[in-house]
Amino acid sequence: MTGISESMSTINSLEELADKKTIIHQIHPRVKLILTLLYIVLVISYKPYDITGLTFYAFYPIILMVLGEIPFMPLFKRLLIALPFSFFAGLSNIFFDRQAAFFIGSLPITFGLISFFSIMLKTIFTVMAVLILIATTSMPKIAYQLLSFKLPQMIVEQIMLTYRYISVLLQEVSSMYTAYILRSPGAKGIKMQDMGVFVGQLLLRSFDRAENIYMAMKCRGYDGKFLYAKPQPMIKSDWMILLMTAGLLFLMRFFDLGLFIGNFVR
Amino acid sequence: MLEISDLSYSYPDGHQAIEKISLNLGAGESVALVGANGAGKSSFFKLIIGIAAASSGLIKIDELSVEKKTLKEVRQRVGMVFQNPDDQLFMTKVYDDVAFGPRNQLLSDSEVDEKVMAALEQLDILHLKDRMPHRLSGGEKRMIAIATVLCMDPELILFDEPSSFLDPKARRKVIQTLKKLTMTKLIATHDLDMALEVCDRVVILNKGKIFADGPVKEILYDEKLLLEANLELPLGLQKIN
Repeated sequence: MTGISESMSTINSLEELADKKTIIHQIHPRVKLILTLLYIVLVISYKPYDITGLTFYAFYPIILMVLGEIPFMPLFKRLLIALPFSFFAGLSNIFFDRQAAFFIGSLPITFGLISFFSIMLKTIFTVMAVLILIATTSMPKIAYQLLSFKLPQMIVEQIMLTYRYISVLLQEVSSMYTAYILRSPGAKGIKMQDMGVFVGQLLLRSFDRAENIYMAMKCRGYDGKFLYAKPQPMIKSDWMILLMTAGLLFLMRFFDLGLFIGNFVR
Repeated sequence: MLEISDLSYSYPDGHQAIEKISLNLGAGESVALVGANGAGKSSFFKLIIGIAAASSGLIKIDELSVEKKTLKEVRQRVGMVFQNPDDQLFMTKVYDDVAFGPRNQLLSDSEVDEKVMAALEQLDILHLKDRMPHRLSGGEKRMIAIATVLCMDPELILFDEPSSFLDPKARRKVIQTLKKLTMTKLIATHDLDMALEVCDRVVILNKGKIFADGPVKEILYDEKLLLEANLELPLGLQKIN
C-alpha cells in the first residue's frame, strides 16, 4: 500500500507549496485566478492546426514555475494523469486526417499529426496553469475568489470538499485493500468477482467518513463561505501585473509573433 | 452551565435513541457519560452540539438554547472531540488543522497564530505543528484533535471516547491533559478507570434513558448497579476486590 500512501503525500505536497512566500505567491489570489482562466480560454481558442502561435504560451507556466520556485517533478507527475485522456482523444486525428500539410524532406506531416500535437500542447498548458495556481494559492483562497465571482456556493463547496475527500477515499482504499489482501493469499490485486462488493463498500464507508468529517468541520464553525480566506484589497502592483500579463496574453493570441520574429531575424 | 430537559430523539427509521433525558451540568464540572454500546451516548452529543435535531425537549448552554439560528454561537461555546481523530483532522498540516476553528471565527492572523501556539504549547505538542496529521501516531493525533477544539476557547467540551485506540502511555497523557483542563467536560467513555480518575460525577445511560446519576465514587463502586446497566467495575477496583 506504499503506492496509496505516496499518492496521499503527493496530493498534500502540492497544497504545501502554496505556503511559500515568493513573488508569485504574494500576488493577489484574484489576479492569479483571472489570469489562469484567461490563459486557459486563450489557449483553448487556438485552431487545431495553429501550433506555432500556441507554442509561445509555454512562457507562462515556465516563468511562473521559475519565479514561484515550484519544482517541476510534482507537477509533471500530476500532468501525466491527465495526458492519456488527450493522447487517446488526439490519436484518432492521426488516423482519420491523413492529408499532408507539408513535407519535411520526403516525410509528409499530416493535418492529423498537427492537430494531435495541438491537443497535447493545449492539455499540457492548461493543466499546468491550474496546477501552478494550486501550488501558489491555498485552496480556501481560491474558493473565496470563486465565491466572489458569484459562482454558486454549492458548486464551490462541491469542488472544495471533493478535493478534501480524495485523501479520505485513499485512506479507505488503503485499509480495505490491506484487509482484503491479508485474507487472499497469493492474490495480486482485487479479483474481478469481488470488485463490485469492494467498490460498493468503499462508497458506503467513504460516505460515512465524509459525513463525520463534515460534522467535525461544522463543529468548528465551517459555513462554506471561506470568509477567513478573504485577502487584503488589491494594490497597485497587483493591478499592474494583471493588466500587463493579460495584455501580453492577448497580444500573443491576436498578433502573429512567429511571423514578427521571422521578419525580424530576416 | 448545560441544562437539558425532557430531551428525546429518534433515528429516521423510528428507533428511539434518546428518551426524555433531563440533565444539568454546573460550570467546571467534569462528568463521565457511560453506558453500553448503543446506549445513546453519541446521539446525545450530536444533539447538544446541534448536529442532530431533537424530536422534543430543550437544551440550553447557559441562557442560550440550542436551535438552528443559534448554532454558530453554540459551536463557539461548545467543542467536541470526535472518537476517531482521523475524522477531526482534515487539513494538510497540523498548524492549519488547529487554526481551522479560529480562522472560521474570523480572527486576525496574529490572533489565530497566538491561539494555535497557545493550544499546542498547553498540550506539549508544539513540535508537531508542521507535520502532516495522517503521518502521526494515534496518540499524537488525539492530542491534536484536542488542540483543535481547545484553541476555540470553548466553555464546554464533549469528549467522545478520548482514550480509545491508545497505548498505555498515550492514554496516560490524555488523562493528564483532561485533568488539567478547567472548563466543563462531558466525557463519553467505556474506560471506567479513566472516569474514576478524571471525573467527579458519572451519568449512566441505558437504552436512551438516564439510568443513574451521582458522584463518581458512589456509582462506579456499585457493582450491582453497573451490572444492571451492562457495565462492570473499573479494572482497578476489580483487582482490589
